[in-house]
Amino acid sequence: MRQESIRRIISICLLALLVAVFSLTSSYFLAPKNVYAFLRDASVTGILAVGVTFVIITAGIDLSTGALTALSAMIMANFLFYLPDVPVPVVCLMSILIGILGGLLNGFVVTRLKLPDFIATLATQGIFRGLTMLFAIRESGRIRNQVIKNKAFLAFSGKISSGLFYVTIAFIVMVIVGQLLLKKTRVGVYTYATGSNRKSADLSGIRTDGIKQFAFGLSGFCCGLASIFLLARTGAATVELGTGLEFDVIAAVVVGGCAFSGGRGDVVGSMIGALFMSILTNGIYKYNLGSEYHVIIKGVVIIIMVLFDAVYQRYFRSRLHSSGRKALKGKAVAQ
Amino acid sequence: MSDQVLLRAENIHKSFSGVQVLKGVNLEIRSGEVHALMGENGAGKSTLIKIIMGVYPKDEGTIWIQGKQAEINSRSDAQRLGLAVIYQELSLIPTLTVMQNILLGQETRRCGLLDSKTMTRRVLELMERFDLYLDPGEVVENLSIAQQQTVEILKSLTVDAPLIIMDEPTASLSASESERLFDIINRLRDKGVGILYITHRLEEVRLLADRLTVLRDGENVAVVEKKDYDPQKIIRMMIGKDIATSADRVAMHRPGGPVGLSVRGLTRRGVFENVSFDAHHGEILGIGGLVGSGRTEVLRTIFGADRADAGEITLDGEKIGGTVAGNIKKGFGLIPEDRRGQGFIPLQSIRKNIALTNYDLLSNALGIVNSGRESRMCDDAISNLAVRPNIPSMPVINLSGGNQQKVVVGKWMARDLRVLLVDEPTAGIDVGVKEAIYQILEGLAAKGVIVIVVSSDLQELLRVSTRILVMRKGRIFREFNEGFITQEDVLAAASGIDNSREADHE
Amino acid sequence: MNKMNRSQFVKRFQKPLILLGVMLVMVILQPRIFPTFNNMLSILYAVSIYGTMICGMIYAVLLGGIDLSVGPVAALSGAVTVLTIIGMGKTGTSVVVGIVLGLLAGAAVGLVNGLIISYFDVPAFLITLSTQSIINGVAQLTTGNHTIAAMEPPSFTFIGSGRLLGVPVPIYIMGIMMLLTYIILNKTVFGQRVYAVGGNRQAAALSGVAVRRVSTVCYVLSSLMAALSGIVLASMNQQAIAKAATGYENDVLTAIVVGGTSLAGGEGSIQGALFGALLVGVLNNGMRLMGVPSTYHTLVKGVIIICAVATDVYAKNKNSGLQRSMFGRPFRRGDSKGALKS
Repeated sequence: MRQESIRRIISICLLALLVAVFSLTSSYFLAPKNVYAFLRDASVTGILAVGVTFVIITAGIDLSTGALTALSAMIMANFLFYLPDVPVPVVCLMSILIGILGGLLNGFVVTRLKLPDFIATLATQGIFRGLTMLFAIRESGRIRNQVIKNKAFLAFSGKISSGLFYVTIAFIVMVIVGQLLLKKTRVGVYTYATGSNRKSADLSGIRTDGIKQFAFGLSGFCCGLASIFLLARTGAATVELGTGLEFDVIAAVVVGGCAFSGGRGDVVGSMIGALFMSILTNGIYKYNLGSEYHVIIKGVVIIIMVLFDAVYQRYFRSRLHSSGRKALKGKAVAQ
Repeated sequence: MSDQVLLRAENIHKSFSGVQVLKGVNLEIRSGEVHALMGENGAGKSTLIKIIMGVYPKDEGTIWIQGKQAEINSRSDAQRLGLAVIYQELSLIPTLTVMQNILLGQETRRCGLLDSKTMTRRVLELMERFDLYLDPGEVVENLSIAQQQTVEILKSLTVDAPLIIMDEPTASLSASESERLFDIINRLRDKGVGILYITHRLEEVRLLADRLTVLRDGENVAVVEKKDYDPQKIIRMMIGKDIATSADRVAMHRPGGPVGLSVRGLTRRGVFENVSFDAHHGEILGIGGLVGSGRTEVLRTIFGADRADAGEITLDGEKIGGTVAGNIKKGFGLIPEDRRGQGFIPLQSIRKNIALTNYDLLSNALGIVNSGRESRMCDDAISNLAVRPNIPSMPVINLSGGNQQKVVVGKWMARDLRVLLVDEPTAGIDVGVKEAIYQILEGLAAKGVIVIVVSSDLQELLRVSTRILVMRKGRIFREFNEGFITQEDVLAAASGIDNSREADHE
Repeated sequence: MNKMNRSQFVKRFQKPLILLGVMLVMVILQPRIFPTFNNMLSILYAVSIYGTMICGMIYAVLLGGIDLSVGPVAALSGAVTVLTIIGMGKTGTSVVVGIVLGLLAGAAVGLVNGLIISYFDVPAFLITLSTQSIINGVAQLTTGNHTIAAMEPPSFTFIGSGRLLGVPVPIYIMGIMMLLTYIILNKTVFGQRVYAVGGNRQAAALSGVAVRRVSTVCYVLSSLMAALSGIVLASMNQQAIAKAATGYENDVLTAIVVGGTSLAGGEGSIQGALFGALLVGVLNNGMRLMGVPSTYHTLVKGVIIICAVATDVYAKNKNSGLQRSMFGRPFRRGDSKGALKS
């Protein structure tokens, strides 16, 4: 536990430091309106990060989340445009269903066709993006970004009276559910086991392929859920919706402490990562710096965190080794 | 309780591609006993264990578990029947906690959620019952190897009437950790657990075992009760001759050639200490010792693959540095034990593998490979070493173990070699090819190359070496450089019976 | 023996046969347009930019790594070259200086990538993903988020838009780079070491290969080729913008994996990658000729990747019985350390 707790404390401290710096330099930063704004900005990435956390803990990767979110959104836009009588909850369910199916397709390609996760989800990214274009709403052959007029659906972009956005509430719920699933259920323990030592997990009777399938399915579910809020906020489903979103998600998960080698990290960590990235973005814009600085800082932050984790891991391992060696040395002296 | 037979295996036969490995072996383990299984490398111990654990199917024979005939076809079958193996290499999930590892696959749930209270209680009960205490919430990767072993043992105790098979469990433990393990084993025995203990260390057998089964060449030699225990007799049983005849005695020689490689005070903290020896031109110096005695690490350090903490190495008076590339240039070569993982590039052809260490000879100043010379080098190596099939473009992974080893040898043969370090030259190689490899090594020595061979196979060690050093617990413990010696002598030195040189009371 | 040779034959010529098959289908579907010389040239022209990038990224992939930063590196180098040329008054010398500076900018990025990945043992995916983001920002800063026109001097525009003997210059550049990469991978010591490190890091280290140095050089080469293609691209479009080559890394990767190079490293060839690129190029061209909008190309590419890699994986499992990690992680945590002093 110790190692992971220290990592958690460090990421919380980094988050606190970031908040402190921005609130000292900008009086507006901690104004409730701004707080709700950066919470909202963190939410879509954060919801996706919950699913991707599971995938990365199994030592996998999911590059298709942005495209799958776009596909779900496009399917909903079709329903809302062509079949306005379908009740909104059904439309939302359709979106989630599409998400789960997409996730299961990823899982199928990885576990049955035995493609490496990276290639598999790169390929399905192309497929989902292509299907999004296929379903794009057209007028006389040209894609038209149809603005959604359904009030009931657009309400998803709203907020409760205190100013907290619905999407943030969904994010919090997903974090709680995800963390419970990961820490308090069998599936969660098996997820760690699969990523940490797949062979031993197999030998302990765990169906590791099933676990990977589940992780991808969950990631797909999160895409479906996130797309509802994303579509409601943008008001129109474009074919470019969510481009590059998968990288923001991966950034959040990595900053939150998930290791690419698998078996490490959790949902709360990824939530901190998502908050960190959105606060960083929010703060950078307050300095009137352009988007170019944003991408540079984002990249530098990921590299620093990856290097930090590498050095930190090595330090912990060498400490264990040296304590083992000391024991041996003590024995040699005793002789 | 104590006389209940946990496992009985009768008349077990097994052959691999026509070679009989087990020829009607019997084994009986009662609950509440520590049963030692001994035998030389290749006696069939590991095959027997794998059959019991359902890794290999048996050709013939029956296995009874608690009086019931059992068909064990997979490891999960074995697990259900209460059988568990603790290998030298641990199979835990490093990032999960002690509790999660112990109960992996048998979690308690309430309303779909894990009931961690009940689970902790189960683990604590288990720990209390067997007197093995660990923090259930600690993450396994933070534990020492001995503590991780304890977790594995606890994991195997979750079933009723368990039988635990321990395969050389002390190989990677320090002395104090080993003592703690013996303590645990004694406690388990008192609680009625059956333990099959595989080891080469006679000392441990004396301390622990209630009974002892000795295997030789796939056959039972004897079952020895504790009261009849006599180390000298057991060594003789393992080796197979009652009285060593002159044919089994191999002459050792004081080296005739000039000193070539000189190692002084070589130390790698926690692995080996103060290793000093000279190796002479034209001799094959054997290094014997048990697994974990530091032999492999000494070879790797001389080669420059590991860093030495102290000590000096000279070759013909010239100081040797610590980089692999530099040492290769000076004429060193290493044939590692883990052939598949460290010896060759699996998907690359025979030609590329042989050429890999020799590009300084095969390329011009611009780094362009002379493919004609590359082909010739490969053809020479293939014909000199009789690699089969003799297709230079064949990926090495598709060759048999013996031919893979020939390729690994081949990449050093093409050079102006001065020192060849060989770790387990014939591990996993057919008997037919073994002799060919020995002859290659002897041929090199005859040319003046210093050959240093590490081997756990005593027969092999005596067969190839002209002089033998025995390592024990990270130190050079004995040297055999004159007169006639037998496998018995080496084994006695390695397993610590022979205390003539060191007052070591363990 | 005979049987093995036959299967080796099929294995060796599988990719060209598939390519020929696809081309044959295109000829049948579009007999008038597809098989013309000009159409062939336009296919090659379309793949020439990322074909040049392949010549760099293949090193990273053969190592068992990846380089996702090639797109922004190309954009940055194009911008550096164009800005230098404009700044120096659009003379002939300025073109040479500009190209050299552009290539150096790319190589510098590669050096950073390579040093971090090789000496800290961290996943190449994450590091190059980060540098992708960083270099994208740097490219935006360099261009000031403007489109910088580069209509002259003719010695510069010739690189991307000129023709030699009726064939566009970028095709020559791709061809030369492919040939050069073929020679490096197959005829030089360095090439052998790349395969050795990718195939078995520990064995390579114990054979005296400086694993980290080789791996660093591979990432430098990857960025260098990306820089070259970025310069060609800027000359082709006669402008430099920060988004010039966004997403190219996906096309490059597609070509490499469709060409049979394993992401686990140690296996694959530049010829294979060329066929992968041509296959995607022919399919794109064919779909365009048949009036399929270009927006569907991603869909087709995704399906091609899955089919190609799945058959590769299937064939490998069946033929060699080699237990390889199918998860692109030949070196799990800690494994790579054993052979080296850490």
